[in-house]
Amino acid sequence: SFATPEEAAAERRQRKRRLRLEPPLSSLHRNQQQQQQQSPKPQINPNAPKLPEPVSALSGNRLNLHNRILTLIRQNDLEEAALYTRHSIYSNCRPTIFTVNAVLTAQLRQSKYSDLLTLHRFITQAGVAPNIITHNLIFQTYLDCRKPDTAMEHYKQLINDAPFNPSPTTYRILIKGLVDNNKLDRAMELKEEIDVKGFAPDPVVYHYLMQGCIKNSDSDGVFKLFEELKEKLGGVVEDGVVYGNLMKGYFMREMEKEAMECYDEAVGESSKVKMSAVAYNSVLDALSKNGKFDEALRLFDRMIQEHNPPRHLAVNLGSFNVMVDGYCAQGRFKDAIEVFRKMGDYRCSPDTLSFNNLIDQLCKNGMLSEAEELYGEMSEKGVNPDEFTYVLLMDTCFEENRPDDAAEYFRKMVEAKLRPNLAVYNKLADGLVKVGKIDEAKLFFDLMVKKLKMDIPSYQFIMKTLSDAGKLDEVLNVVDTMLDDDGVEFDEEVHEFVKGLLRKEGREDEVGKLMEEKERQKAEAKAKELEAAEAAKRSARAAVASLLPSKLFGNKEPETGSAEATENASEAASSE
Amino acid sequence: QTPEVVPRSIDDLRRLCQEGKAKEALELMDKEGVKADADCFRSLFELCGRLKSLEDAKKAHDFFLQSTCRVNRELIHKIIEMYGKCASMTDARRVFDHMLEKNIDSWHLMINGYADNGLGDDGLQMFEVMREKGLQPNSETFLAVFLACASADAVEEAFIHFESMKTEYGISPGVEHYMGVLDVLGKCGHLYEAIDYIEKLPFEATAPVWEALKSYARIHGDIDLEDHAEELMVALDPSKAALAAMKGGGYVPDTRYVLHDIDQEAKEQALLYHSERLAIAYGLISTPPRQTLRIIKNLRVCGDCHNAIKIMSKIVGRELIVRDNKRFHHFKDGKCSCGDYW
Amino acid sequence: ALAHFIQMRQAGVEPNHVTFVTLLSGCAHFPAKGVLFGPSLHAYARKLGLDTNNVMVGTAVIDMYAKCGGVDFARLVFDGLDVKNSMSWNTMIDGYMKNGKVRDAVELFEKMPKRDAVSWTVLIGGFVKKGQFEQALEWFREMQLAGVEPDYVTIIAVIAACADLGTLGLGLWLNCFVMKRDFKDNVRISNSLVDMYSRCGCIGFARQVFENMPERTLVSWNSMIVGFAVNGHAEEALEFFNLMQKKGLKPDGVSFTGALTACSHAGLVDEGLHYFDNMKGVHRITPRIEHYGCIVDLYSRAGRLEDALGVIENMPMKPNEVVLGSLLAACRTIGNISLAERLMKYLSEVDPGVDSNYVLLANIYAAAGRWDGANKVRKKMKDLGVQKTPGCSSVEVDCNIHEFVAGDKSHVDTDCIYSTLELLSFELILCGYVPENIVREPYKFD
Repeated sequence: SFATPEEAAAERRQRKRRLRLEPPLSSLHRNQQQQQQQSPKPQINPNAPKLPEPVSALSGNRLNLHNRILTLIRQNDLEEAALYTRHSIYSNCRPTIFTVNAVLTAQLRQSKYSDLLTLHRFITQAGVAPNIITHNLIFQTYLDCRKPDTAMEHYKQLINDAPFNPSPTTYRILIKGLVDNNKLDRAMELKEEIDVKGFAPDPVVYHYLMQGCIKNSDSDGVFKLFEELKEKLGGVVEDGVVYGNLMKGYFMREMEKEAMECYDEAVGESSKVKMSAVAYNSVLDALSKNGKFDEALRLFDRMIQEHNPPRHLAVNLGSFNVMVDGYCAQGRFKDAIEVFRKMGDYRCSPDTLSFNNLIDQLCKNGMLSEAEELYGEMSEKGVNPDEFTYVLLMDTCFEENRPDDAAEYFRKMVEAKLRPNLAVYNKLADGLVKVGKIDEAKLFFDLMVKKLKMDIPSYQFIMKTLSDAGKLDEVLNVVDTMLDDDGVEFDEEVHEFVKGLLRKEGREDEVGKLMEEKERQKAEAKAKELEAAEAAKRSARAAVASLLPSKLFGNKEPETGSAEATENASEAASSE
Repeated sequence: QTPEVVPRSIDDLRRLCQEGKAKEALELMDKEGVKADADCFRSLFELCGRLKSLEDAKKAHDFFLQSTCRVNRELIHKIIEMYGKCASMTDARRVFDHMLEKNIDSWHLMINGYADNGLGDDGLQMFEVMREKGLQPNSETFLAVFLACASADAVEEAFIHFESMKTEYGISPGVEHYMGVLDVLGKCGHLYEAIDYIEKLPFEATAPVWEALKSYARIHGDIDLEDHAEELMVALDPSKAALAAMKGGGYVPDTRYVLHDIDQEAKEQALLYHSERLAIAYGLISTPPRQTLRIIKNLRVCGDCHNAIKIMSKIVGRELIVRDNKRFHHFKDGKCSCGDYW
Repeated sequence: ALAHFIQMRQAGVEPNHVTFVTLLSGCAHFPAKGVLFGPSLHAYARKLGLDTNNVMVGTAVIDMYAKCGGVDFARLVFDGLDVKNSMSWNTMIDGYMKNGKVRDAVELFEKMPKRDAVSWTVLIGGFVKKGQFEQALEWFREMQLAGVEPDYVTIIAVIAACADLGTLGLGLWLNCFVMKRDFKDNVRISNSLVDMYSRCGCIGFARQVFENMPERTLVSWNSMIVGFAVNGHAEEALEFFNLMQKKGLKPDGVSFTGALTACSHAGLVDEGLHYFDNMKGVHRITPRIEHYGCIVDLYSRAGRLEDALGVIENMPMKPNEVVLGSLLAACRTIGNISLAERLMKYLSEVDPGVDSNYVLLANIYAAAGRWDGANKVRKKMKDLGVQKTPGCSSVEVDCNIHEFVAGDKSHVDTDCIYSTLELLSFELILCGYVPENIVREPYKFD
């Protein structure tokens, strides 16, 4: 950390040096008007980053707007929250960066990355200066989207241009993201940068890095990091968050005794180490994955005893995930389900990932009915199944020879507006065809052909299937669909393939006819379109004609051009 | 003149000050030469500060300089405070620099004034000057310093000053100092750091601590943290029970995104500053979101603008009604009532 | 009346002041003849000394001169009046306003010892008639400040000003103001309100006022029909046109303008033509240029450009810039350069001071990439000395009108306006907007 206030201030001022406190775009234009007239505005480089607004900007109408947007977020109407924020840019009540951050935070929590980046792009363009929170949200987004390089580019910009320093949170986000994206080297480099910047060593950052080493089976790295941290903290590491990884390092080297000593150091009677839920989970994981499941159970009991929400949180969702995994590894699936269901007693709520994890384990171990029961509990708990959930269940149903149920899961997935990819569809089609359910396969083909970008093999598969079943009319039907599909080309090869299928009944010429017919239809459709526009006009005309006074048309002298209109009007009148 | 009229007196002045009529009070002093006493000046200065009227503040200051109480330190402090509230730290500084007998409170007032006006850097500089002059900061000084740090986004410095308070000046920090540092973190948007800080407090976090975190979470738009802090706050002080929050949300993974850029020429083309666009832009920034705008044009609206305004209506989320010299165009949701013929 | 007067004189009856007032106002009403007889009447009255010592006669003389274009004589008489009442003042001010001497009018107004509602109304109404709506509103504000209660004539003038400026905020305020007055059901006031609302684009409010009217005149119906038509509510316009006749009112030229506009708006070519024939045949109304304009618009809109050109070629009067504009706009939409070129010859026939059609033509060339043509048009404009009318748009914010011309940088909030526009244009392009190749306002190049 900085040695003196002068140093810290110098660093800070250097960041602000190019900037003058200029009034933000239009927010204050009324209040600032006088000041502006009094003193000519300093010439500012328009490309220089702006200082973010201070908390005091959040007052009056802008505070009302903030509260309004927060209410929308609480009502889970994120779309409206983002839209209203955007619309407010074009108004006399410009949103503050705080309001924007609120929307971005909510979008990140719901993984609405594309919406988030769109809004961010917009406010950047609109000249709303980002603050550290905004930057952190953007880092998190890029890293969650598996774009670590983009995130690091953005970080470079922050370091070079932003009028403020990154926060410790910035580094936690970046390092965790880099580790998760398998960029341990880059993460290590970044850790060195933190040192240079004068930040205090952060055990959480070390925890992430050690986790990365373990993932790479690099026990040396784990110990090196621990020693480094210990040294920097003056010989004692009081934060329990690193101990689990340290244990894993020892276990990796098969130094069980040292691992358990380390365990004792962290959670023993006289330990001064502070254990958060995250710290516990790491230790818990180390035990259960290294043949110490009984000890893990004991520790879990202790954690539950200690748990005293809201003041002290010793267990969280992660703890239960570790326990579920532990039981499953022991083959104690019933216990796994039991501990999973207990979560609610400790004010933890499972998410889709936890459900998927347990369902996966159960499916793999021949416990499909239990898995299905859990699936049923998801909606009760307000957790939405995702593509992965459905595909798991579908696959297992096929394995258990329950093709109808498998198809049903697929259908539900589509109905839930989820987007299974082509591979999943192919699995389904294959599964159904294998058990001779050709009609069902065709139904799903019809359903999915509108939603998926079918490739040529998928088309060929269904055509081959139908042809094998002797349903040549339906083959032609598929050809018809394929001709309409702009995503695939009905090339010579496909043409030959279809001809081959049809040849057995001597109907190979029909493809050519169909193709000709298609061309004609397309031309016709175009003509129809024109006609429909004309018809729309006619109906509007008829509607108006019915309003026209008959007197107007009855008494008039016959003049050119009007007779036709009279006919139209009377036609319209009589047709009603 | 009728003989009943009693010359207006200091009582009238006092009454005007109490009623919050600064302008009238100043007029009374100006036109009728009524002289204010210390009490009157005190309430007048407070009043001008509350009204944030720099003009009146300067007048009141002038009268004060002509008065007998012009050396009254307590009143000079009031003037510094008044100028701070009127957002003129330059005037406050001038008064401060001319003060003959400054005490530590004078310094505090200046640092706080700078902090309140978003000039934390100047406040911190003031603190440096104070130390260079050999003044011994006290516990209150540091509260002012933390305020200045919060205003200057100076998180690191706050921690350095906090250390020096203990080590250099031997002041043991009180709850208010910890809260001061918490405010620095909260105002600067270091929310997670604030949580860590609270966990490491040498005393158990009290309801006001969580309340502070809750309000900073709200400012920075982190609803989940706001709820968590609120829960802890209520647990510690049930009298602060508040509304239960609604939560929820589906999981919709979607990673499509593009960062757009447009070339300069296209931008210039799009930037034709036709009068209708200027009028719309001004209308937009002068009215609340989603309000309908009405534009009147003396000529026919040009095709390019017509096309642009159509899309604008969608972008800005408003109905834009344009009356040109021929007909009306009601633009809404990217469409125009004229059916693109005009 | 004049003949009687001559008889009367011949009969040796001495005319009294009533006779003079009657005769003079007769002259004032028919300025064409008044110019001949007015001065001699004045001379006669002068002989009797009536013009200076009888205020009524004097005022009538002022009015006569003012309306016959001799406003300076009127002033001489005014100054010569021994006794002036407020009517004399008002008449004189009115005379100045009618003759476009605004400054004299205002000067006199300010000299006036005691201004009554009529004085204000004369001034405000004068401004409205001259198309100086902002000034009219400014004087109305002055009137409010002076604490003079406006009468319904004032209000009608002010509402008309609002209608033209499109100041809905003030219009709403006036509506509320009217509601509390005795003349709230005055049919002319209501008509003005209907017109004002529809010209502010608030057709819903216009309809409300219309429906709450205890009685309606042809003007009420016409305002409503035209209001619907220009706001793009073709069906309602035709519905009201129909309803009006059911109520026994005979449509006039304005009603037909409304109906035809509605037809052109909805693309109902045959119906429009039908109404047009009907107007001529059944109602015996001679079509005016605006009716032909509607028909041209009707054809143009339906893409029948040749038919539209046919109307222009065969109509009994020269086309004006509006009529040509309709067709040119259609040429532009369809991209028909050759027809646009054929219209060139008509362009020079209309008021050469009007530039919009030249600009349109230049833009048609530009849109097709025919820069030679665009330059030719620009050169022609220069040769003819055609001045670009600056495009001017206004927007009402908090009852204040803010006006802008292209490229305007005079507004106090200019920086904010331009940065908002820049953001908007960025978003526009993201939304797929492609700016056209258009000729920028020509004066920028000069």
